[in-house]
Amino acid sequence: MSVAAAARIEPQTASRAAGHVEIDRVSKRFGGATVLSELSIAVSQGEFVSLLGPSGCGKTTLLRIIAGLLAPDAGTVSIAGRDLTRVAAHKRNVGVVFQSYALFPHLTVAENVAFGLQARRVSRAETARRVTEALALVRMNEHASRGVASLSGGQQQRIAVARSIVVKPALLLLDEPLSALDRKLRETMQIELRRLLRDLGITSIFVTHDQDEALVMSDRIAVMNEGVIEQFATAGEIYGRPKSLFVLEFVGQSTRLHGRTTAANGGVVEVETALGRVRAPGAFRPGTSVVIAVRPEAMALGEGPESDYNNVRAVLSDVVYLGSRTQLLFQGDTPGNSIQVEVPRLPAGSGHPGAEVTVRWRIDDTLVFPIP
Amino acid sequence: MTILADSAVHAALPVTADRWRVEPRALMALPALTAMALIFLLPLGLLLAQSLWDANGFTLAGYARVLADPYYVKVIWDSLKLAFNVTLIALIIGYPAAFALARARGRTQVILFALVFLPLTVSIIVKTFGLMIMFRREGIVNWLLVTMGFVDRPIRLVFTELSLVVGMVNVFLPFMILPIFAVIRMLDPRLADAAACLGAGPIRTFWRVTLPLTMPGIVAGASIVFSIGVAAYVTPTLLIGERYMTMSQVMAKAFLNLRDFQLGATMASIMLMIALVIVFASSFLARGAKGGR
Repeated sequence: MSVAAAARIEPQTASRAAGHVEIDRVSKRFGGATVLSELSIAVSQGEFVSLLGPSGCGKTTLLRIIAGLLAPDAGTVSIAGRDLTRVAAHKRNVGVVFQSYALFPHLTVAENVAFGLQARRVSRAETARRVTEALALVRMNEHASRGVASLSGGQQQRIAVARSIVVKPALLLLDEPLSALDRKLRETMQIELRRLLRDLGITSIFVTHDQDEALVMSDRIAVMNEGVIEQFATAGEIYGRPKSLFVLEFVGQSTRLHGRTTAANGGVVEVETALGRVRAPGAFRPGTSVVIAVRPEAMALGEGPESDYNNVRAVLSDVVYLGSRTQLLFQGDTPGNSIQVEVPRLPAGSGHPGAEVTVRWRIDDTLVFPIP
Repeated sequence: MTILADSAVHAALPVTADRWRVEPRALMALPALTAMALIFLLPLGLLLAQSLWDANGFTLAGYARVLADPYYVKVIWDSLKLAFNVTLIALIIGYPAAFALARARGRTQVILFALVFLPLTVSIIVKTFGLMIMFRREGIVNWLLVTMGFVDRPIRLVFTELSLVVGMVNVFLPFMILPIFAVIRMLDPRLADAAACLGAGPIRTFWRVTLPLTMPGIVAGASIVFSIGVAAYVTPTLLIGERYMTMSQVMAKAFLNLRDFQLGATMASIMLMIALVIVFASSFLARGAKGGR
C-alpha cells in the first residue's frame, strides 16, 4: 500500500523502484455497478501473488484488465516500468491460463504449444525445440501429437500452462486454473504448478476464491472485496494479522465475540463480552463497540496464568472429530455463535457436552476489530 | 428434451433400458421415411428412368444430345457459374453478419434476427418482383445512381447478370447466415482471447483460430446456397428470363413448352448428380475441417 502511495507522488521513478508489475488506481464500472475502485497493487519480479476473494469481488475483471482484454475506465497498468494501459493484448507479452483452459480444439497438443511462438515468428527449428522443452516441463511429451479434446482435465491444464510459459511471458496470469479439477488432483497440481513457476522465475498473478489454494501457493496474497484490496501481505500475516473483519472471516475460521471496550492501558484494551472480561492488544477509546476474534488453534483447554492469558468459562456443546485434530465447540455469546477450539488430541474425560470448561488463549493472539 | 426422455426411460425400465433404447427412436423416423420414399424417391426414380429409356428401350441418347450440344453445355456451365458467384458473395456478406448475430446480446440480437429471418417469410415471387421494381429504369437504384452522379442517365439493370446475382444473394442470404451463426454461437469467445494473449493479432487469430473452427458452418452454408442456387428457377426467370438460361429454366421449358420429356428428365438428372457431388464433397470437407480434433 505504501508503494501505491509513493507512486502517487513520483509516478516515474516510483514505478521503476516499486515492482515489476504496477497497477495504479485502476477503476472499472459496468453499467451502474463499480467493479474496481481505484485499485492499486505492485508485484515484484518473480513473485507469485494470489488475488483471493469471493465471486463478484472484481478479481477476474482486474485480471482481464492486466491482460489487456478489457480497458480500465481510469488508472494505469505497467510492467517493467512500461505503461501498457493502451497497448493491445497481443503486444503485451502477458500470458493467461484460463479457467476453461481455452485450448484450440482443432490443433494438436504440440500445435497448441507452438501457437505463441509462431505468432512471434520464431524459427521452425527453435519452435520445435522449445515446444519439446515446454512439454517436458509439464511431463506431456508423449502426448505431443494428440488432439487436445482426447486429454483429461489435468492434462489439458498442463498444456494450457505449457502454452503460456513457452513464450517466456513477462507476467503470467492464472484465472482459477485448478477449479475444474477434482480435489486430489488439484492439491497435486497446486504444488507442481508452484514449483514449476518458481523454478522458471515467472512473475505470476493467480486468481482464486479458494483460500486454501491461495495459502498453499502464494508468496503474497491480495484479499479483494467489492473492488478494493482489503489486505496485501504474506499468507502468515493474512491469517495471523487480518487487517479487517472481512479478511478475518474470509480466510480461515475464528471465534468471534461482540463486546465493548472498558479500559485501555499500555497497549492493552479490556473488552466486556457476554462471557466475561477479555484483554487484547490495541488502543481503543473506552466505550468502543468491537469484535474480538481468536483463531481455533490459538485456543486451549484449562486455565493459563492471568498475566498472559485470557481465561473464559464456557459450556461445551459439541465435539467434532476432524482426523488430524479435534474441534470443540462451546456456547458463545449468542445462540448460533460458538467458540471454536482446536486441539491435536482430545484430553481424556474432557469431552462431555454440557460440561463447563475453562478455555484459554494468549492475550497476544487476540484480534480486535472496531465495528464501524 | 432428449436428455429428459432418456432419463425417464432409464428410470422406468432400469433393466431393459439398453435393449429398448434405440428401436423406438428408429421407428419414429418411419413415417418421415415413408413419406420421403413416396413423394420424393419414387418420382425421382421415374424421372431418372425417363432420361434413360425411350420407346426403343434403354438409351443414353438424351445425355449424348445434351452434352454434345454447346447450347446445353453452356446452360450447365452458366448455372454453375451463377451458383458459384452467388455462393461466394453470400459468404462474404453472410459471414460477418453471422458473427454480429452470434455475438449480439439482448434487444440488438432480436432485431438482427428479425432482419435476417423475416425475409424468409415473404414469398420468393414477391421478393423478386420487389427487386424488379427497384432495378427498373425508373427504380430507386437508377435514381440513386443518377442523383449521385455515377451515371448520366438510367442504365439497364433488370435483365442483366449483375441484377440476377444481386437478386439471388438477396433471396438466399439467410441460408448462408443460419449455419454459420449456429457454429459461431458454439465457439468459445475465450479462444480468441487466448490467441491474443499468446501474441496473435486479429488477422492471425482469424486465420488460425476463428476461420478453421467455423469452417463446418461455412461448408454447410455454402453447399446449401450452391445447391439451391444451381436449381434456382423463379428468380432467374423473373429477373433475366431467356437472356440467361439456367438448367431449371431449360427443364421447365422442356416439360411445359417443348413436351420433350427426355430432355427435361436428362437435365433434371444432371442437376441431381451435381447436387449429390456437392453433398458428398461438403460432408467430406466438413469432416476434414474437424479432422484435427
